[in-house]
Amino acid sequence: MNLRQKIDKLLEIFLVVLMSTLVVDVVWQVASRYIFSNPSSFTDELAVFLLIWVGMAGAAYVKGKNEHLAIDILPDKLTPNRKSRLLIFINFLIILFSLTIMVVGGTWLVYTRFQMGQVSSALQVPIGYVYMIVPISGLLMIYYSLDDISQLIKTIKSN
Amino acid sequence: MELDMLGIVVLIFSFIFFLVIGTPIAYSIGLSAVATMLVSFDTLPAFSTMAQRMATGLESFSLLAIPFFILAGQLMNSGGIAMRLIEFAKVIVGRLPGGLALVNVTANMLFGAISGSAAASASAIGTIMGPRMEKEGYEKSFSAALNVTSATTGLAIPPSNILIVYSLASGGASIAALFLAGYLPGILTGVALMLVAAVYAHKKKYPIAEKVPFRFAVKKFFDAIPSLMMLVVVIGGIIAGLFTATEAAAIAVVYSLILALIYKEVTVKHLPQIIVNTVRTTGMVMLLIAASIGLSWVMSFENIPETVSYALLSLSSDPFVILLIINLALLAVGIFMDMTPAVLIFTPIFLPIVTSQLGLDPIHFGIIMILNLNVGLVTPPVGAVLFIGCSVAKLKIQDLVKPLIPFYIAMFVVLLLVTFIPELSLWIPDLFGY
Amino acid sequence: GLKNDVKVLKLGHALDTKHSVHIAMEYMGKRLEEISGGKMKVDIYPGGVLGSERESLELLQLGSLDITKVSAAALEGFVEEYKVFGLPYIFKSKEHSYSVLDGPIGKEVLSKGEKYWLQGLCFYDAGARSFYSSVPIRKPEDLAGLKIRVMSSITSFAMVRAMGGSPTPISWGELYTALQGKVVDGAENNPPSFYLSHHYEVCNYYTLNEHTMIPDVLIMSTHALKKLTDQEKEWLTQAVEESVVVQRKEWMKSEQEALESVEKEGVKIIKTDKQPFIDAVQSVYDLYEDNQELSSLIQRIQKADPALLKKEEASDATTLQEETKQN
Ligand code: NA
Ligand code: NA
Repeated sequence: MNLRQKIDKLLEIFLVVLMSTLVVDVVWQVASRYIFSNPSSFTDELAVFLLIWVGMAGAAYVKGKNEHLAIDILPDKLTPNRKSRLLIFINFLIILFSLTIMVVGGTWLVYTRFQMGQVSSALQVPIGYVYMIVPISGLLMIYYSLDDISQLIKTIKSN
Repeated sequence: MELDMLGIVVLIFSFIFFLVIGTPIAYSIGLSAVATMLVSFDTLPAFSTMAQRMATGLESFSLLAIPFFILAGQLMNSGGIAMRLIEFAKVIVGRLPGGLALVNVTANMLFGAISGSAAASASAIGTIMGPRMEKEGYEKSFSAALNVTSATTGLAIPPSNILIVYSLASGGASIAALFLAGYLPGILTGVALMLVAAVYAHKKKYPIAEKVPFRFAVKKFFDAIPSLMMLVVVIGGIIAGLFTATEAAAIAVVYSLILALIYKEVTVKHLPQIIVNTVRTTGMVMLLIAASIGLSWVMSFENIPETVSYALLSLSSDPFVILLIINLALLAVGIFMDMTPAVLIFTPIFLPIVTSQLGLDPIHFGIIMILNLNVGLVTPPVGAVLFIGCSVAKLKIQDLVKPLIPFYIAMFVVLLLVTFIPELSLWIPDLFGY
Repeated sequence: GLKNDVKVLKLGHALDTKHSVHIAMEYMGKRLEEISGGKMKVDIYPGGVLGSERESLELLQLGSLDITKVSAAALEGFVEEYKVFGLPYIFKSKEHSYSVLDGPIGKEVLSKGEKYWLQGLCFYDAGARSFYSSVPIRKPEDLAGLKIRVMSSITSFAMVRAMGGSPTPISWGELYTALQGKVVDGAENNPPSFYLSHHYEVCNYYTLNEHTMIPDVLIMSTHALKKLTDQEKEWLTQAVEESVVVQRKEWMKSEQEALESVEKEGVKIIKTDKQPFIDAVQSVYDLYEDNQELSSLIQRIQKADPALLKKEEASDATTLQEETKQN
């Protein structure tokens, strides 16, 4: 396995665990109301926090697979070499997005949360942990884009 | 004011540029949103606000239903359930003119209702029905056109993820009410497609299905019951108040897991891969939602919804005309854009107009929007369901364009009926007191 | 040029435009424009289009929003002191709450947010929250076995548990359906929210036990505050103070209208003895037993007798001003 495959695999395991926890959490919320008639107080907050993590980490995983929806009429009309060049540019745009919003913006968001000591209302966990997935997933997207770019450059050179 | 206009110009032109060159839609949305923000904000507030909007955009209990219904759909996606539903559909409509064509539509409606995914429906039903219809003499392009259009009915018939997305975009329209509102319009679309198919099959003298002995019919019915029960569990559970719409989605996961394990379609070993597939779809949808929430913040900040509504209302004061314009605008959007981003971006713009100016119920407008964008799912150049239908039928998109036309017309007629007869959407929710 | 003559403050809140708070804010904007001779303006974004209460507070800290109105409950995760307002029966009466919030304690709490970049400007009235349900609740024992939807906060959970009910988290958006389907048996809120959410259609009993009086708070980002001159700050303070008067009047009106309307819709309003409820919730105060600062704040609030306070108010307020100047 190369590095990219290893990261894919790690992400998969991580996401399977998160998603399974999510299902168990919400089923538990229903069950605790009926079977134990003692509703739990944190399940809904935990669920939405998990969803942020599944959504963001999942989005990075999907970038790794290059499965994000796009209108690829223009790329498909180009010659292979030109298409590769355009894809490099698109990956550059993805890096721009991930770097500015997710890594820089996300890190500032997380940093200020910790500095302000903000905690969630039910679980009383620092909100910074919840938002931390934003810069992490941004870094993963940047990694995948850089790897894509290096492969595209190889393709162009070999032609 | 000048500054505001500059923001709008940056937003529209950067978005179109990113989209056209083939940047993934979610990234295009986020990039043009942040570019617009930079017109009026410093960099750090702009970047961190976008990051916050994206994360908190996913922080909604209702949104949880989306990965759950996707997972339930994945578990249901195995051939066994599709096959049982097809056999069941054959018992109901197989003997009518154009028998197999009607079976295709009915099976799509049932499967789409359960799985909540038009794409899954088109591939599951299309894979089985395509070859069968071909054997009986149907043209392949006709079968595929019928398959893709009828696959979209499952998005109106509940449970339906896109209705959950709409509920989010509308600022909290009741999911339960939306689900109930979808039944008649979804079924009506199915019936309209069947009519077109029946007329066509009658003209071409296609055979009807062979008679099914009564005993056999009863067996097919019982075979299909466990699969159909999922609808009863989910929708019934919400109406009976056993759980909320979101919790119902988690219950659907449990139910379909048990069913899949009993049918031995799935073993515990398959589960990780099924969850990974679920996360793939979820991650794609969630990034779209997150970026769209960021964009809608920027649009609100720049007062864009008000600007658009002002422009639209200056075109005409006739409610009928305004609704027609909105419908045509949405159809145009659907040609180029996928359903989820379209709902997320255009609901905040159009909903205030139709509710406050035209007095429409938000539930009614939600159904209008879904039926409208359903057409977009099966029009080139961007049509997810069309692509899948073509790939399972091994056809090119251009092969389908001509046979699709009568079905487009049928969908458009139903869209107009649903737009101008609110009762079609609101009667059932009213019945249940929503 | 870019350096505009008019200073525009962006204000986002999550309420409807018919709400007393929005009406008061519009008044505040109008007055600010008048007082400043057109040099200052407020742009109001209602209905939560810029984010929920918690999210708006975060935006204040990030610097993309200037002012927001939140419930003191939303501030609990940011500034600890606001937690005390969520305690059941911390205020004996409306007069008690006004005297605390308008007095030195209120000013002190508002200024506590400064180090978290969230300067409090004023308190708005949000009335008292009471139970509504599909079965009558007359005393705490009636809550036994009832699932009551509460806000997602540990104080709310502890309170309903202390009274013997089962606190249940349901998102506000799903609550109507949940009440209708009896996923939960009841919920709690102030009269205008009970009325505007249409929950009276599915809950026939409203018990005026008034367990909490959690005020609304107008909060300004210190990033935005720093950009104002002393003169501008003065104008703003005046406009804010005037809006408080308007809001309280509008709130009383909307509270009364709400109660009359739900009664007309067939809701039975139960006026009950509060003492059994007060006795039941004393254990909730144990939550803050170990917290020195909150405990002393709680004690000071409880001791703040409205009649007594009026005499001392003037002198206390001046000493506080001197203290803040020194900081
Ligand atoms: Na469905
Ligand atoms: Na399309």
